[in-house]
Amino acid sequence: MPDLLLDVQGLETEFKTPDGIVHAVNGVSFGLGEGETLGVVGESGCGKSVTMLSVLGLIPNPPGKVTAGKAFFFGQDLLKMSKEEIRHVRGAQISMVFQDPMTSLNPVLTIGRQLTEPLILHLGMTKRQAETRAAELLGMVGIPNAAERLGDYPHQYSGGMRQRVMIAMALSCNPQILIADEPTTALDVTIQAQIIELVKRLRDELGMSIVWITHDLGVVAGIAQRVMVMYGGFIIEEADVKDLYANPQHPYTISLLGSLPRVDETERHKLTSLEGMPPILYQKPNACPFAPRCKFVIEHCWKENPPLLDIEPGHRAACWVDPETGRSRV
Amino acid sequence: MATYIIRRLLLVPVLLFGVTILIFGMLQFLTPVERSALYVREIPKNERQINSIILRYGLDQPLYVQYWRWLTGTKDQLTGERNGGILFGDFGWSRTGSQPVANLIRTRFPNTLDLTLWALGPVILVGIWLGVQAAVHHNGFIDQAGRMFSIIGTSFPTFVFGLLVLMIFYANLQWFPPGRLSTAMTVVVRAASFKSYTSLLTIDSLLNGRFDVFIDALRHMILPILTLSYLSWAVFLRVTRSSMLETLRQEYVTTARAKGLPERDVIYKHARPNAMIPVITLAGFTVVGLMGGVVITETVFDYPGIGKAAAEAAQQLDVITVLGFALFNGFILIIANLVVDILYAVIDPRVRLS
Repeated sequence: MPDLLLDVQGLETEFKTPDGIVHAVNGVSFGLGEGETLGVVGESGCGKSVTMLSVLGLIPNPPGKVTAGKAFFFGQDLLKMSKEEIRHVRGAQISMVFQDPMTSLNPVLTIGRQLTEPLILHLGMTKRQAETRAAELLGMVGIPNAAERLGDYPHQYSGGMRQRVMIAMALSCNPQILIADEPTTALDVTIQAQIIELVKRLRDELGMSIVWITHDLGVVAGIAQRVMVMYGGFIIEEADVKDLYANPQHPYTISLLGSLPRVDETERHKLTSLEGMPPILYQKPNACPFAPRCKFVIEHCWKENPPLLDIEPGHRAACWVDPETGRSRV
Repeated sequence: MATYIIRRLLLVPVLLFGVTILIFGMLQFLTPVERSALYVREIPKNERQINSIILRYGLDQPLYVQYWRWLTGTKDQLTGERNGGILFGDFGWSRTGSQPVANLIRTRFPNTLDLTLWALGPVILVGIWLGVQAAVHHNGFIDQAGRMFSIIGTSFPTFVFGLLVLMIFYANLQWFPPGRLSTAMTVVVRAASFKSYTSLLTIDSLLNGRFDVFIDALRHMILPILTLSYLSWAVFLRVTRSSMLETLRQEYVTTARAKGLPERDVIYKHARPNAMIPVITLAGFTVVGLMGGVVITETVFDYPGIGKAAAEAAQQLDVITVLGFALFNGFILIIANLVVDILYAVIDPRVRLS
């Protein structure tokens, strides 16, 4: 494997709630190569966002807490950094774009003010330099009359434009990694496509790595090289994007793909739906967390949580059963 | 912004009209004889004179005629002197104050304003500061202490709290005196050399360079201020705290942190302005609350403000005085609301630009 830009090992995050401690992320390990785009897939509440927020120290504490793990970035463990140290990584070297552009921009500050902030903070620009650069950035993400629109407030922008602003803001300091947390979920389909195209174009121009969090497998197919599927705070499958779609190894992945209509299909088949909800784990499970919803479930699934096993080179899955044969792997 | 303010200002006459209609409507509950106090000092006893007054001031005329006369007053046909007319600042004769209601307001209101300004300033500044701190240190010491403080504050009736404070600090400890000024200082203030710039005693004393008067006035005001503002403090703290907690959960706060901003900037530059929107609404209500609160507070502390005068008038069924005060209060509230609405626009671009 080539040198990893970001190397996360054994990450665990918990939340204290009135009902008990929720184990949101349970020993997640993954790597992100330079220039690579990693898709992170799963239903809502699978720990996708929490994993990424944990890496950047953005979990609100209390109630959240990163209890174990390492996250190496240029040889330094992000999780061990002081608040002051990690602040200089955020927005400068690793930046984030969030799901809902309607709420992720501050309604009482101008777009220009919000866009120039990281430039002044991380690159030490003067206000004037930052404003010039901010206008360039807005132009880069395809906002017309950029210089004039710096004085506008978020409510004067449409949803798609706000997400462009968010992207411009995230990329303003030329970060090595862009974490996109469901950036197209809240947008119209046509705008979604535009935003994805925009990010792809900027990735090719600027050459950053991307972590693209989504629950839309269709979107991932279009942008990612590698995909990891999460369930109940565990990574349950990880593979090359083509491999994952052609040869899914975890029943959960199979269900997700089965619920997705495909345009390249030749024969008709019914879309399947997956009943139930992902679990909220108040205890670390000693059974497979997917077992209650799994149609391949065998007795052993209730006794031991399967580890992430190498199925073939570059393809890992956490399941006791080989879904093709229905036979146990134990 | 300018159009917004102009549009808002255009609303003021409408509101004023509403207030006058309301007060005038209340006046109609009085008999014509009682209403004649709007125009004459002594209500005559014998029937012939009464009838002549009713005739003279049109107190038996249709309502719209009476309303107009109430607004603009009547001209004496012999002397040409205007009589009554709230638009000219004539609110009638105060039986309990033995002077025109307007005079009573003019002499008493500065005292009340002095008191409420001293109450309002710390309430807003410290209340907001404490509220923000409580939210930032959610469930921490400041938060718990603040919560305790505000629960006590919101559950104490003003008069009970006032009497308690009076008992402890005036009767038992004798730290603070009641009233407005001590006798020695009253002599200073009454002297010709003491110039009245604003009618507000604390400010005038500073402007005159009489620090001793200032301290004395403040000493007399501390207990009323405490009583008057405790409830407002408590409410301010709670509203600011919950608004700030809500704001800190917003996604743009996470965005601000993800940008790498220092926590100070996240809280004070990104979160707090947003959290202030409901607090400004509250500030408007607080002015209303303080104007009501002075009635009890000033009575308890024997403080010569408009609230005490209103209480005395109410006790003696001096309706003309009470309604005069009500009218005056209405004006103040309209102004307070105007200020609040303009502040909204200053803080929230969505109000300013829509």
